[in-house]
Amino acid sequence: MVKELAGRLAALDPDAGAAVQVIAYFDRLVDGRAGLEAIVRGAAVLAGCPARLIDDERRVRIRMTASGVRQDDSSAPDPQWLHRPLSADGPSALWLERPGPAGPVDLMVLERAGNAARGALERTRGRAAASSPDPAFVETVVDAAAPVDARLHAARRLGLPVDGRARALARPGGPATVHAVPPAGASAAVTGRAGLGPAVAVLDLPSSWADARTALRFTADGTEQDPGPRIVDFADLGGLALLAATVGVGTEPVPDVRRVERAAAAAPWVLATLDAIATTASLRAAATALTVHHSTVQERLTHAEHLLGWSVHDPQGRLRLQLALVLRRLHRSAR
Amino acid sequence: MTATIESASTSQDRVGPPPPFDPELAAALALVADMLPSAIVPEMIPAMREGLAVLDVPLSELTRDGAVTIEERQVPGPVGEPDISLLICRPANAGTGRPAIYHTHGGGMILGNSRTGLEDLLDWALELGLVVVSVEYRLAPEHPDPAPIEDCYAGLVWTAEHADELGIDPDQIIVAGTSAGGGLAAGLALLARDRRGPALAAQVLMCPMLDDRNDTPSSRQMAGRGVWDSTANTTGWTALLGDACGGPDVSPYAAPARAVDLSGLPPAFVDVGSAETFRDEDVAYATRIWQAGGVAELHVWPGGFHGFDTLAPQAAISQEAKAARVRWLRRQLGL
Repeated sequence: MVKELAGRLAALDPDAGAAVQVIAYFDRLVDGRAGLEAIVRGAAVLAGCPARLIDDERRVRIRMTASGVRQDDSSAPDPQWLHRPLSADGPSALWLERPGPAGPVDLMVLERAGNAARGALERTRGRAAASSPDPAFVETVVDAAAPVDARLHAARRLGLPVDGRARALARPGGPATVHAVPPAGASAAVTGRAGLGPAVAVLDLPSSWADARTALRFTADGTEQDPGPRIVDFADLGGLALLAATVGVGTEPVPDVRRVERAAAAAPWVLATLDAIATTASLRAAATALTVHHSTVQERLTHAEHLLGWSVHDPQGRLRLQLALVLRRLHRSAR
Repeated sequence: MTATIESASTSQDRVGPPPPFDPELAAALALVADMLPSAIVPEMIPAMREGLAVLDVPLSELTRDGAVTIEERQVPGPVGEPDISLLICRPANAGTGRPAIYHTHGGGMILGNSRTGLEDLLDWALELGLVVVSVEYRLAPEHPDPAPIEDCYAGLVWTAEHADELGIDPDQIIVAGTSAGGGLAAGLALLARDRRGPALAAQVLMCPMLDDRNDTPSSRQMAGRGVWDSTANTTGWTALLGDACGGPDVSPYAAPARAVDLSGLPPAFVDVGSAETFRDEDVAYATRIWQAGGVAELHVWPGGFHGFDTLAPQAAISQEAKAARVRWLRRQLGL
């Protein structure tokens, strides 16, 4: 009867019933935690031609005939066949042994079976190094407007502990990423420029994502022209976080920020020196951070204070400097 | 310490939720949900007969490119009743003195014809060199009990008497049927025992419909779910038995679960799904055969709905169920 169904599917109006049927089929498989064989078999039967799942990294090769019988074949797939990679950068893919052009049912089968296969692979064979989490699931899990069920489903598909904690991570110009927080509290090593959201229950990830984006605005390149922390944890911002809400690209800079900009334009070392002074406990520590002699730092500081118009030797002056540097970063990024 | 021992099951026993369907079967069911209602009421019979007719495999296709020869014979029906038609299918190279399957088709006593479910039997025929004889019995409600079972019996008698002409070994005639056909096959085994012929080598009862009382825990548990629920079952049995359905005067040849004595029967193969109306009556039937000192092999396929292997032949569990039958036939026939 399913044989007739495959024929029936092919005959259905492409954008009406067929897609719905294919979606329903693979959704049920996913709901039932069906294995890889069942998923590849579903692809073969619904597409009406043999299907293969190839993931050499995980040593998975499954081939199913159109009647759903497993019949593995070690030969390489024909590049002309319809296929869909399981991850953006990995070599794993789901194949239909049929050349293009793909019909609407083929496309839907490839998409749905491919997603189901990726989930089953990650569940049963572990996450491959090359595979990146499906961006669609990440988008859902950080979207406060998405239904709770959808966010929980997405969290499960991303391998997040539904009853545990996770945090969102924001990168310049990049989509959200989310990480489970290990029970021990050790955080995964993060490299590059990033803002970290607080660790929260998975359903609170939308707020963690918002905070991560806020934290990202406090980061800098960590270069001489843009000194500052490359990674900022929202939890460490304290009251500074409030500034992010009021200061952005379009807001008028306070005079202290204008003075920092003017000082920065005067000499290439100014910004790095001011940042070192603002973030270390003493001139000596600043000299070590800048890898120059402390008398050089003293000399530069005198010059910089003149450009700024206030002393940075006393605590109040250092706070003004810290605030001016932070505000300068906030002016460079949109709220 | 005291313990309360529940009395043996009564129709008032509480039942738990329905067992979950096997994931692949649930997916297949999702595809056909719109054209295969769980509950069937009498008013739906004409439309369902029409709907199923389009799924009939044409005779030309049953010949499997000439590997099978098919002959339709009119033979005498029960005394004083019209002739009946037998579909006689022989592998082209089978030779003579072959075992035979006498097939009674399914369809709840109200649907189907001699080609219904024939494809699997032709697979057996080709693999094992069997002759398949499929009987076109009259259907209820137009022809209530005993017309269907007596038509089947008349065809069985004719087949045994013409064994030589048909190339059949008369000592190796097996009755087989699915659903209502399984009930009819079980009824034939009882009739052949009680009327002292024809001799039967075995009975293959695939998810058989055995008990008109329709009050087992599985019948209540699966109401409104899957395929052929208790409402459909009531429709089928009432069509066959009329007002006698569920009462004290039902013939055991019509409803084999009513038989008091299950001794002296040929070896039985019984299979059924765990998620179907017939689960409990089929398990009970096999159990009672053992209790009477008989031979039976029982398979309960977890998460299987009624006729799962017909509706979703590609599913892993369907492939297992089909293979189990062929293995049993091999052992039974000493092939």
